[in-house]
Amino acid sequence: MKKSISLFFIVLTIAVLMVSAAFADEEPIRIGTIYAMSGGNAAIGENILRGIDFAVAEINAKGGVNGRMLEVVRGDHAGDPAQGRSEAERLITQEHVDVMMGCHMSTVTEVVAQVCTQYGVPMITAISTLDRLTDADHEDMDFFFRLCPLNSVYVEDMLKYLKDSAEQTGQEIKKIAIFTDRAAIGQELIRCVELFAADYGFDVVAVVDYSSNATDLSAQVLALKQADPDAILCDSYIGDATLFVQTLKAQNYIPKMIVAKANGFTDPAFIANLGAAANGVASVVEFNPDLINGQEINEEFKAQYGVNMNGHSAESYTVVWIFKTAIEAAGSTDGEAVRDALAALDIQGEFPGGRKIVLPYDRIKFENYELAGAPHYRDNTSASVAIAQVQDGEWKTVWPFSFTDTQILYPAPLQ
Amino acid sequence: MDIFLQACVNGLLMGGFYSLMGMGQNVIFGVMKIVNFCHGEMLMVGMYLTYVLSTTFSLDPYLCVPLVAIIMFFLGALIQHTLITPSLGTKSFTNLLFLTVGLGLLLSNGALVLFGSEYRTIPTSYQQTFISLGPVNIALPRLISFCVLIVITIVLFAFLKYTTTGKQIRAVSQNPVGAEVVGINTKRIYILTYGIGTALAGIAGALLTGFYTIFPTAGASFGFRALIVVVVGGLGSIPGAFFAGIFLGLLETMVALFVSPSYSDLIVFITFIVILVVRQLIILRRK
Repeated sequence: MKKSISLFFIVLTIAVLMVSAAFADEEPIRIGTIYAMSGGNAAIGENILRGIDFAVAEINAKGGVNGRMLEVVRGDHAGDPAQGRSEAERLITQEHVDVMMGCHMSTVTEVVAQVCTQYGVPMITAISTLDRLTDADHEDMDFFFRLCPLNSVYVEDMLKYLKDSAEQTGQEIKKIAIFTDRAAIGQELIRCVELFAADYGFDVVAVVDYSSNATDLSAQVLALKQADPDAILCDSYIGDATLFVQTLKAQNYIPKMIVAKANGFTDPAFIANLGAAANGVASVVEFNPDLINGQEINEEFKAQYGVNMNGHSAESYTVVWIFKTAIEAAGSTDGEAVRDALAALDIQGEFPGGRKIVLPYDRIKFENYELAGAPHYRDNTSASVAIAQVQDGEWKTVWPFSFTDTQILYPAPLQ
Repeated sequence: MDIFLQACVNGLLMGGFYSLMGMGQNVIFGVMKIVNFCHGEMLMVGMYLTYVLSTTFSLDPYLCVPLVAIIMFFLGALIQHTLITPSLGTKSFTNLLFLTVGLGLLLSNGALVLFGSEYRTIPTSYQQTFISLGPVNIALPRLISFCVLIVITIVLFAFLKYTTTGKQIRAVSQNPVGAEVVGINTKRIYILTYGIGTALAGIAGALLTGFYTIFPTAGASFGFRALIVVVVGGLGSIPGAFFAGIFLGLLETMVALFVSPSYSDLIVFITFIVILVVRQLIILRRK
């Protein structure tokens, strides 16, 4: 009798364990996201979260990950690193998220990545481009991965574009000039151009800068005119970008090529304010609706949200798919297992059971490597940007040549 | 040489705006001896006012100038009557400093709430029209703006010099107590001058919309230059402010041309400090 009672209890315990395990399997996989949902950058946060929601809905509709649904737990850093830290702690210790995504601002990303590493929660940033996030000082942040290209890769791609453009324009670029803000963004552009210019055989003939929200840029434009470069590289906020193009025309100077590092030049107000005068200006873009692999998803995205998918939504969309693939490969949501799966991940062309990579590159692999002589860790080394050019008042992708059918408009007409 | 001529014209055209801003600031300073720290924001308000008028009534931005001037005059008069005149009584400089700085913050943040942080422009058919005078190229909107502000300067000068009200304003500016003794209503003159100063900033804003973007903090860089103009041109002096503005515009472009655009702000501020020190020394010597 005693034996049968203990046997009964043993069976019962096993049954309870099995049932709870079965229930645990049903529990959703929780993705923590930390972006600005309030404050001045809330609009950026919204675009990112749209990309995430879009991917989660797509994956859940196909049966989820390992039979478990995905669930997004949102944190709000409001642009403040201190708040980013407390939100990361809250999501990890109270909401028990399995993986983390963030952030918009690199300074916040850095703090959140430290918290994630401390608790052993794998984290991927979709859009933080600051080089130093993955440099030697952050070698031990080994739960942190980066999908997007680094700042210096953005600039290197601008130079690659200038080099490749000769194929279509027949004009080889030799002399380049930099036109940019005196603030940090400009210094970063100057630093990166100087890092790579020699490798591509370019001669930097002028570096022209100004203070943000300049009252007048005619002196700067005259300096560029005097230097007479084959192409101008720029990074400006929207007000200065608009004034720059207007001043070019006023000073009767039409540079043959203008390539911007996104920012103000890709602000929707840029084309709206300048109209036809914007035609011919080129810029770095992380995603553009006319990219060969992006057209289909953009249609669906637009049908749902009423706006085009932008770089931020496309990159965050991709990160959700990376997590899905890694968790499936790991077979569990255990932090270390997922981290190892991410480190071993190699996606070529398309996600298993999903779309082709919607960004302007065809491979995703996180690697340790050297960039301009400095070691970097866990970056997606295949990441690249595309170059789009304003043609007939619309951004058209013109580079990499294999991702588009549109030809470069040369020289830039600015009318 | 061509570039030099072009730079001269650019400096002159931009200097005109600095003059207009400086003169507005100086009218106010001359009479009330207060520095109007929200002068740049008044320019921004003028820009948005032009934007609203021209988009709702599809008016040409230059036709909005008189309307903007009138509205801004009354806005200035209202601010003077309700906020500044009561503070003048306290004879406390810090009080007025905080009042005008606070008012500036209120205005730029108010614009942020009302219009958002977008950068707007008012598209016109002649926005991309340029006039070539030999080697020099001038954008039509800049040329129109410059002509208008020359007219405004002459009118303002004549007004202060020859009209009774103008004379009263100058009287109050020279000796407020004496002016009051001879029966001038100083409070009325205060309201009038602040209104005129604000209207001048508003006009500068309206004229800028032809080629500049409109955004909530657009006034900051202009307001700051207005202060330099006032100090260089002499506190309270209208012709001084006019020439100082043109000088500042030319200095900026010439430094950019002959030295480097990177140093233009730096050299402008060094010149500003040198002028301040030298003038102080001359005044001391005379005493």
